[in-house]
Amino acid sequence: MTGQRPILLVEDNELNRDMLTRRLKRAGLEVIAAEDGQQALDLMRSDSPSVVLMDMNLPIKDGWTACREARLDENINHIPIIALTAHAMEADRLAALEAGCDDYATKPVDFPGLLIKIGKLCK
Amino acid sequence: MLSVAELRNAYDQLIQDLPPEAIEDFSRLFEATRRLEGLIAPGVAGDQSHDIMNALAAIRGYGEMLQEDIGEQFEFLNDTFSRLLKAVDTASSNKVPVPSADDQPIIASEPGFILAVDDLQENRELVARYLSRTGHIVVTAASGEEALRTLDQTDVDVVLLDLIMPGMDGREVLKRIKEHPEWRATPVIVISGRQDMEGIIECIEAGADDYLFKPFNPVLLQARIKAGIERKRWHDREQQYRLQLERNEKFIRATFGRYLSDEIVTDILERPEGLELGGDLREVTIMMSDIRGFTSLSEKLAPDQVVKMLNRYLGAMTDIIMAHNGTIDEFIGDAILAVFGAPKKREDDADQAVQCALAMQAAMAEINKINLAEGLPEIATGVALHTGDVIAGNIGSERRSKYGFVGHPMNLTARIEEVTAGGETLISDSTLEKLQQNYQIGERRELNAKGIDQPVIVHQLLGLQS
Repeated sequence: MTGQRPILLVEDNELNRDMLTRRLKRAGLEVIAAEDGQQALDLMRSDSPSVVLMDMNLPIKDGWTACREARLDENINHIPIIALTAHAMEADRLAALEAGCDDYATKPVDFPGLLIKIGKLCK
Repeated sequence: MLSVAELRNAYDQLIQDLPPEAIEDFSRLFEATRRLEGLIAPGVAGDQSHDIMNALAAIRGYGEMLQEDIGEQFEFLNDTFSRLLKAVDTASSNKVPVPSADDQPIIASEPGFILAVDDLQENRELVARYLSRTGHIVVTAASGEEALRTLDQTDVDVVLLDLIMPGMDGREVLKRIKEHPEWRATPVIVISGRQDMEGIIECIEAGADDYLFKPFNPVLLQARIKAGIERKRWHDREQQYRLQLERNEKFIRATFGRYLSDEIVTDILERPEGLELGGDLREVTIMMSDIRGFTSLSEKLAPDQVVKMLNRYLGAMTDIIMAHNGTIDEFIGDAILAVFGAPKKREDDADQAVQCALAMQAAMAEINKINLAEGLPEIATGVALHTGDVIAGNIGSERRSKYGFVGHPMNLTARIEEVTAGGETLISDSTLEKLQQNYQIGERRELNAKGIDQPVIVHQLLGLQS
């Protein structure tokens, strides 16, 4: 589904980072992970992932800022970004789309739905 | 959660039979539930909603993974897993981080990127707190200089600007923003004390969009921010729209510009409905030309010489045809097929075509001069003109189509062209009839072309009437 390129998971909460990494790997996907927005941008530049799953509330550089920066960098602005936001925070979702995310998934994540979104964006 | 206790029990009993992956998942699931219990324990201070949400998300993820992996093997656990997931879902939809009553947003607004500039830390924090509750993203700057740096790095929707600051003050920042080609559209709301009414007036004259007095009312602040964001969004959309229009125009010019004259492209751009070039029957004057003996000539030359010579010739001919408002239908090797009278009809299409043919023949002298200078052979072109009704329109499939022409007159023009000699221009009777000006006409010939019942009358075109 995604060819050779890994999926980049950006999540500061280690429980969730670990959980999603395991689930994605079990679904047959290669996963690399970052813990903050700056790391995410660095990995997007160095590893050119097929898609980025990004939590928005991140330390050092938050997801919205990272997303805006990614969209301004022509080397990585083609990489699709799926924002991971809290179920109740509609404003976060809107801000994520406003910042240039291609799609969003709410936490707790509907995993089959997430795989479909990844598949669509990886085409 | 009861289901968690049940799972712990089951886990202790089943541990021998579980695959290593499931053991790992179980231990992480329990770790997440311990984390959650810690977060919702009585007496925990502060807003824990974010961590709670993350713990719930982890529990759900591990729960689902375990159910998928061992639910079949240990069917009796399925029900427990389902209850756990249900509980998590209920908890996640209930655990809405509720702002306390004083901070509750009263004015809902599209979230924006706000830059708050104030030299006092407590002011910056206050503004950030009010506005992030409404979903805005707030970046702060402690000085005018820092504000300009932030503007340089980020796309800001609204600037909230304190007037009195040490170093570069608010007035200067405002001036710089309004002078900057990219920032000038960013709304600026100035903040000052009530006693500085004059400063406010001065700023509004200098381009500030709105103002607030300190200490400000949070609702008023939200309202002004909302108005500012809306203004910025309008501007952004307008900008986007304009860029789109420019791109479209560029695209049209690039696509049609190779085949149509500038005048016609401009005409199409001015009337967008003109782009839906449906097929229609229309009278046009068709021109066909080619270089006599070019194929055998090209066999004697190196490929790059052939291309060079051909491009020089076609380039010169294209310029002349476009200058006479002709539409180039296509190049086939050294042959040119052009049409006068489509997509735009003019009164003097036939005259334009005839004058175009004469200009093309006249240009050959100059082309041959360059050819000779480069050691290339001289070339001569034959031109045929014929006027008749053709169907003009977008022809092709959805993937590839072009504005083109079909009809009997197209074939007839090709037949006439076949009999032209080098340097000769032949025009059919029907073209001659359409001419409004007088030209020097030479020999009259009758042409019996194959596939054509009636002989065609053609005339040599010698030049303009002197």
